[in-house]
Amino acid sequence: MSIRSYLDKLEPHFHKGGKYENWYALYEAVDTIFYTPGQITKTTAHVRDAVDLKRMMILVWMCTFPAMFAGMWNVGFQANTAMEAMGLTEAVGWRGAIIDALAGHNPDSIWDNFIYGAAYFLPIYLVTFIVGGFWEVLFAMKRGHEVNEGFFVTSVLFALILPPTIPLWQVALGISFGVVIGKEVFGGTGKNFLNPALAGRAFLFFAYPAQLSGDAVWTAVDGFSGATILSLAQTGGVEEILANNITWMDAFMGNIQGSVGETSTLALLIGGGLLMFFKIAAWRIVAGVMVGMIGMTLLFNLIGSDTNPLFAVPWHWHLVMGGFAFGMLFMATDPVSASMTNTGKWWFGALIGVMVVLIRVVNPAFPEGMMLAILFANLFAPLIDYFVVQANIKRRKLRNVH
Amino acid sequence: MSTNNDTISKTLIVTISLCVVCAVLVSAAAVGLKPMQEANKALDMKSNILAAAQIEIQGQDINQVFDNQITARVLDLETNTWADDVDPLKLDERKAAKDPAAAITLSGDADQAGIKRHSRYKTLYMVKDGDKLQKLILPIHGKGLWSTLYGFMALEGDLNTIVGLGFYEHAETPGLGGEVDNPSWKALWPGKEVYADNPLDPAIGLIKGKVEQGTANAEHKIDGLAGATLTSNGVTNLVQFWLGENGYAPFLAKLRSGEV
Amino acid sequence: MSQVKEVVTKPVFENNPIALQILGICSALAVTSSLKVALVMSLAVIAVTGFSNLFVSLIRHHIPNNIRIIVQMTIIASLVIVVDQVLKAFVYDLSKQLSVFVGLIITNCIVMGRAEAFAMKNAPGISFMDGIGNGLGYGAVLMFVGFIRELFGSGSLFGVEIFSLVNNGGWYVANGLMLLPPSAFFVIGLMIWGLRAWKKNQVEQPEFTIAPNTK
Repeated sequence: MSIRSYLDKLEPHFHKGGKYENWYALYEAVDTIFYTPGQITKTTAHVRDAVDLKRMMILVWMCTFPAMFAGMWNVGFQANTAMEAMGLTEAVGWRGAIIDALAGHNPDSIWDNFIYGAAYFLPIYLVTFIVGGFWEVLFAMKRGHEVNEGFFVTSVLFALILPPTIPLWQVALGISFGVVIGKEVFGGTGKNFLNPALAGRAFLFFAYPAQLSGDAVWTAVDGFSGATILSLAQTGGVEEILANNITWMDAFMGNIQGSVGETSTLALLIGGGLLMFFKIAAWRIVAGVMVGMIGMTLLFNLIGSDTNPLFAVPWHWHLVMGGFAFGMLFMATDPVSASMTNTGKWWFGALIGVMVVLIRVVNPAFPEGMMLAILFANLFAPLIDYFVVQANIKRRKLRNVH
Repeated sequence: MSTNNDTISKTLIVTISLCVVCAVLVSAAAVGLKPMQEANKALDMKSNILAAAQIEIQGQDINQVFDNQITARVLDLETNTWADDVDPLKLDERKAAKDPAAAITLSGDADQAGIKRHSRYKTLYMVKDGDKLQKLILPIHGKGLWSTLYGFMALEGDLNTIVGLGFYEHAETPGLGGEVDNPSWKALWPGKEVYADNPLDPAIGLIKGKVEQGTANAEHKIDGLAGATLTSNGVTNLVQFWLGENGYAPFLAKLRSGEV
Repeated sequence: MSQVKEVVTKPVFENNPIALQILGICSALAVTSSLKVALVMSLAVIAVTGFSNLFVSLIRHHIPNNIRIIVQMTIIASLVIVVDQVLKAFVYDLSKQLSVFVGLIITNCIVMGRAEAFAMKNAPGISFMDGIGNGLGYGAVLMFVGFIRELFGSGSLFGVEIFSLVNNGGWYVANGLMLLPPSAFFVIGLMIWGLRAWKKNQVEQPEFTIAPNTK
């Protein structure tokens, strides 16, 4: 029996009056994983296109792969290097048991590094997916709408911006907050004004700062502490980073401390570049972020400061530090929470770029500005669109004065 | 009845009588309760001082313990001598810090604690055994991350070994910088030594991470507050400032040599 | 007697000043990080709403209409100062934590709202009870939020340890967000959600509905 006919046989049970009426959302989700939905648009004035929400989301999901794989390798590389330096030969805990069964701890072996990273990243992703999926399906059932593919993207993005050592129960709590408070309370996908993945991370950041920031959380080896280049820059600017034997190229390739998916700027540019090429991510937003960031950095370079070494950090370092590249390419371009108008996208992007540098340089408490900058700009997106639309109306009115 | 309420005379009568009644009520409460409030304030300060000096109260009356064991004396930081003409009970250090005439202004590198200006007169508290100084309790304050931390540090009679430290007012991040209130962190301080070689340059300070016993200078190092680099730096700075040459160090030197 | 019961109990669940009327949110955010402080604040507000209603009602026939708001304010402000002084004299520790928020009861819309809406039109006895009831409604929310925030933020209730914290060698990792004021927004929001799911008649009319697609 083919899957199609099996699904068709089950279908009546899930319709109104059927045995599993409440579970329709789940049925629909499974059905559309295998087949294109049967419904097509019937009303007037509607663009018909081969791209639908699902294909779009799957594409975004796939575009995160370069960063995901680079990230997993890097988690393993950092950990194995640290273990070598500390003279350890066995990893600890249940993850350690898996790693030791499958691979060694040679930091030069791609396989060893990759397995180590996977043993840390995959459980995070799995928990994100299961717990977040539970909330999605629950709300879909209660509200009578369908499970939205957007969750695919939210879950992978959320998992990628966490430090590898985060406790799994915190992952569960974070994605719950992201999905429920960040999205569902406002009515679900399309009605959320914040990026749910970032809302979840912000919750964790403020609730459990000890597990989300500092020097000990980025490398998955107990007792090892390695600062991110952002906090190195905070202590002594670029000189401090170079003094720790990290070159710009290291940071660009992603061979540094950081959250799982945010370290490799190169891998992110590949994935993000594809997204822009397919016109899923708006290039105007990305360009806006770059312009804002470079402008603000140059301004700070010009002002200068005797006490704060971050003032002097050049823009090409900001590009590779922390979550900048990840946020710019994957978070800021979220079509729901960003500005919709073309002009608005420029302003929206520029606001993020300016804010991220401002937070990184001037605020002493939050070294990672990207998350806060994007959430901040999310709040302004509707306002920016409003002004753009009003300006347009005004211009047209003037054009038509008789 | 409501129509004639709006006449000018009625309005005036109501307003005036209401004001009189309310004024009497408020002033009666303020004046009548003032002694109790003052006593509370003093009691609060005394228990903070006792806590920093590690003196156990054990269910006794705080006032009694304080009065039995502790003597207060005012120090003039300008001349580094006792200023016995200033009454420690009447000295308001925070108010004095705002008044340029009664304060010492700091600038540039001298302002390590980030406080800009502080009172010229400071009240020190002493625990004495006969004539011998057992413990000296110093008021300290300085900038953390979000707020100014106010506290007391108590030293042994050798004016080098720490008896205890406590902050009674701050607004640092709960769970991170706010851990300055954690008893297990405060318990790291007793027994540490302030000065290494130079009695004007304190060596005491917080480090990142944990202090390994037996390493060099471990007696001058305290565990940093996990995840709170800026509060940790703030605490180091304020302790070093107040025990340094712009703070109490010159006076402590005099005290050690028996000059005062 | 049933009227008394109604004015006292109704504001607690049916017509809660915070949950339904969304009044007095400011102090609910600020003073709910521990139950002890929340309790003292609740008592302070109950006292102020009760007595301000009583006094306003007592002189309601003599208050000139055009200065009535100022008269109410004067009464409320005097009461708040008295309460503040009493707290400072008797529970100094807690009044230190409450700091300006006792003083800010003056600007709490619940107090003004009840004085203007109820005490100006009703007899002193029932007005007093109405004030107490609204104060209770406010207090109930404060205690609920304080319960959640202290339990999850510090692992304790009324300062007594319930969950042993990791920092002290236990198992519970304190949720730092719960100690920050914004968390009260989430807690109050979720509470209102729950309350309205339970009592459907509290759900507001939607301001607009999205038109169906054209056929």
